[in-house]
Amino acid sequence: MHPALWISVTGLEAQNTDIRVISNNLANVSTTGYKKSRAVFEDLLYQNVRQPGGQSTENTELPSGLMLGTGVKTLATQKIFSQGSVINTQNQLDLAINGKGFFQITRPDGTIAYTRDGSFQLNSQGQIVTGNGYLLDPNITVPDDTVSITIGTDGIVSVLTQGNNTPQQIGNIEISDFINPAGLQPIGENQYTETAASGTPTTGTPGLTGLGSLAQGSLESSNVNVVEELVRLIQTQRAYEMNAKSVETVDGMLRYLSQNL
Amino acid sequence: MDEMLYVTMSGAENTFYAQSVNANNLANASTTAFKADLAQFRSMPVFGDSLPSRVYALTEKAATDFSPGALIPTGRDLDMAIKGEGWFTVLNGQNKEAYMRNGSLKLDQDGKLLTENDLAVMGEGGEIFIPPAQKIEIGIDGTVSYVPLGSSTNTQVVLDRIKLVRPDIKNLEKKEDGLIYTKDNATLERDISVTLSSGFLEASNVNAVESIANMISLARQFEIQLKLMKQAEQNDEASTSILTVS
Repeated sequence: MHPALWISVTGLEAQNTDIRVISNNLANVSTTGYKKSRAVFEDLLYQNVRQPGGQSTENTELPSGLMLGTGVKTLATQKIFSQGSVINTQNQLDLAINGKGFFQITRPDGTIAYTRDGSFQLNSQGQIVTGNGYLLDPNITVPDDTVSITIGTDGIVSVLTQGNNTPQQIGNIEISDFINPAGLQPIGENQYTETAASGTPTTGTPGLTGLGSLAQGSLESSNVNVVEELVRLIQTQRAYEMNAKSVETVDGMLRYLSQNL
Repeated sequence: MDEMLYVTMSGAENTFYAQSVNANNLANASTTAFKADLAQFRSMPVFGDSLPSRVYALTEKAATDFSPGALIPTGRDLDMAIKGEGWFTVLNGQNKEAYMRNGSLKLDQDGKLLTENDLAVMGEGGEIFIPPAQKIEIGIDGTVSYVPLGSSTNTQVVLDRIKLVRPDIKNLEKKEDGLIYTKDNATLERDISVTLSSGFLEASNVNAVESIANMISLARQFEIQLKLMKQAEQNDEASTSILTVS
């Protein structure tokens, strides 16, 4: 079949991927700590049909050749780690990171995952866990007779227990940062895992050494900008239609060829 | 059979090539900073012992349309768009300098500044490595500065300057890898007049309306070529029937 058909197919596929990425962003518009993705496209290699400067005849030379592009490919889906807005919830176990960094979570298989979703809860043993019940790392256990929990901007967790007037420090929340957060692998459940591309984590006290500080009683909302996504949606749909039109036209040319010759 | 058939065939074949170039432009309508390719036809007279009556068609990728695309706001720190003319300098896979306008930059695990397709961005002294930073800023003239991790926010360290060039576009061509090279293979010097906008990306410069119109026009040209092929066949049939001895 003719290459123009396949070129248009790559265009359709790229727009299809873009729609998928946009709809996933829109679906997660209310997900706490969600970071939007963006599809990145690149033109495919070019085929040299006729080399520029080649001999057209013995005495003449082609001033320019013929290079045919072979379409487009989706290079990557890139996470955009811009800050989402911080929403006040008044819940004492809700934490937002204001600035760079990730909470560390122990997954059921023992590996460490990273998240910006700070909607923590307590499990039956009084441990601080995520909404899916995964432990916060380093693990913090809140005593049974706790009246209130205070988490400082630097991650120090102190509790006030019954019949006790002085707050008691029970642990520190640490956050991690990566040289290239865009290289983290999103694994769902609002979590990311370290990859070769992200580099190794720098772990530290929140608010120090450039890591973000914690805000108790707040959550970070998704950083999806609905207006932007809708504009992209319209643009992608039009690009899809144009590529479909191209398929139709080439098909028309081929049909005309086979019916008339 | 008459040579007319071959002449029209070359027309039809080359119309299809032009249609491929156009389809490639349309497929890259959403590719950041893509530059549309232009196809043109040229007549190629064939000289021989006989009269030079046969003129074949030849499609060429005459040039690339280097006009800038629209700027799209993204809000991402490492997204750069070049205002007006100018190019980023990158190293292609063979350590040769190439030029591109796609300023969607990223860092790898060593802090090396890369383009989205993993090509190193050139600074004044070669590749740019950014140490762990709280914040990276790229100024409008390409100056890369950062606030080191662990220091107060008023410590800005100036690291390097992205090599921005502004060659004559007549001296530029797109090669097989989609990157732009100088035709004379000269290495370009930094041009201080090129400026960047941070937080923006350049859209593809494919003009959709023009491409669609061009696509329809090429499809019709193709049909005309086929009509002529049909005509050649009929002419041939006619002469065969006249000469038939019954």
